[in-house]
Amino acid sequence: MQFTSIGIPALDEHLGGGILKGSTLLVMGGPGSGTEFFAKQFASAGTEPVTYFTSTERDEDVLAVMREYGWRTDIKIVNIGRKYYEKVLARKLEVSRFRQEGITLSDIRKFRDQDAAKEENFLTFLAYEISKLNPPFRVVINSLDFYLENYESQEVLMAMRTIKAHTQHSESVTLNTMLKGVHDSKIQSSLEDLADVIIELDREKVGHEFKKYIVVQKVRNRPAMVGIIPAIYDRTGIKPG
Amino acid sequence: MPLKPGDRERCATGVEGLDTILYGGIPRTNTVLLTGSCGTGKTSLALEFLIHGAIRGENSLFISVTENSEKLLANIIPYRFFDRTLVRSGRLVFVDMPIMYERLGLTKPDLSMEEIDLLVSALASLAKELGSKRLVIDSITSVCYKLKTSEKIRDFILKLSKALSDLGCTSILVGEVPADSTSYSSFGVEEAIADGIVLMANMERRGDLLRTLQVIKMRGTMHSRAKYVLDLTPMGVLLVPLLKGGSTQ
Repeated sequence: MQFTSIGIPALDEHLGGGILKGSTLLVMGGPGSGTEFFAKQFASAGTEPVTYFTSTERDEDVLAVMREYGWRTDIKIVNIGRKYYEKVLARKLEVSRFRQEGITLSDIRKFRDQDAAKEENFLTFLAYEISKLNPPFRVVINSLDFYLENYESQEVLMAMRTIKAHTQHSESVTLNTMLKGVHDSKIQSSLEDLADVIIELDREKVGHEFKKYIVVQKVRNRPAMVGIIPAIYDRTGIKPG
Repeated sequence: MPLKPGDRERCATGVEGLDTILYGGIPRTNTVLLTGSCGTGKTSLALEFLIHGAIRGENSLFISVTENSEKLLANIIPYRFFDRTLVRSGRLVFVDMPIMYERLGLTKPDLSMEEIDLLVSALASLAKELGSKRLVIDSITSVCYKLKTSEKIRDFILKLSKALSDLGCTSILVGEVPADSTSYSSFGVEEAIADGIVLMANMERRGDLLRTLQVIKMRGTMHSRAKYVLDLTPMGVLLVPLLKGGSTQ
């Protein structure tokens, strides 16, 4: 069996040596549960070149965390969030200004053809970018929530199937993050079904503090590996404790 | 022609025959539907109306919906009276409607009532900014395709005419109808709301394809309802009465 690291050595051990090459991981949790942090720790590990797709953070925020924990920073960040801002949100802002204030002749004269709204499908873009990567690769998609908010569930599922198949055949690894309990249960179940490994980050209020857990929900074909592992978050990142 | 008391001030089109038919021109602030099938000379006549306005010192605005205005300007009939300095000085302004759609985020094929209001107020604010006294939209039919229902078209044209009229602007809305149409407008609504209708058509006679023009309706003035033959020449549009004699019938 060919393993690669999940990013947390003790968790690799618990999983019997790591995650199988070709796996698609799903990391879920509520807001503040640390899924994005887990994703970065995952990005810090392994020998594969890393591509980190983010729809929520700025590049420098990702790198700052990586540096703070002493993790590798030689990762390629593809910022879907910024692209979305430039192509969609900034335009919406501009449109609302024109709608409010009207258009002057100079606004019309300043218009260039490239300003025309071309509908960019970020889901297609994501799949395309991944298809171009040289295998084996390590991909982080943080987060699926962005795509689920902007596209039909079926489209997201289809794209994820494509990405999963590509990951599998190229013996690479892909990690997706997703908020738990936000999306409708049907699409959540479908995405869970598609994942080879599901990790849920959970916490419990005990007295005046949180007890944190790494819940291994699913390891495909290795049901014995599932379990609830108490976790500590310290200066080295997340680890079983 | 001296104005009779109570007669409305005229906006002379500069097209000699047409001004005669209209007893001096289009009553100011009217919105006129200039309609006809393709190749009947609608755009040329509308342009001439604006150029003559610009020459007289009235700011004129051409809103091109179907054709890129630069291309339109390149293909303009070499009218003897057309001077490009009118464009350079800003007296005659060409604007592409698709750019306004983009700017206002109205690129969807179907506009809501609220978006129609937006479009009307954007057009009015542009006309106000430019101090336009004459305006042409070529064609209103293309705009109507985005409105879909006759209620919306009615709403759009009513509001637009009102807004332009309030600005003291005399407007021509160019309408396209299929050659075999019995209606004056594609959607059947535009004609009912406009202050005036000028119909342009092709007519075959003795193997010649003649262009004809007929004023069907014009609020605020008397007018001839006869059919005229129209000739597009470098001197502008020439109108002569259609001679009934000599026809094959």
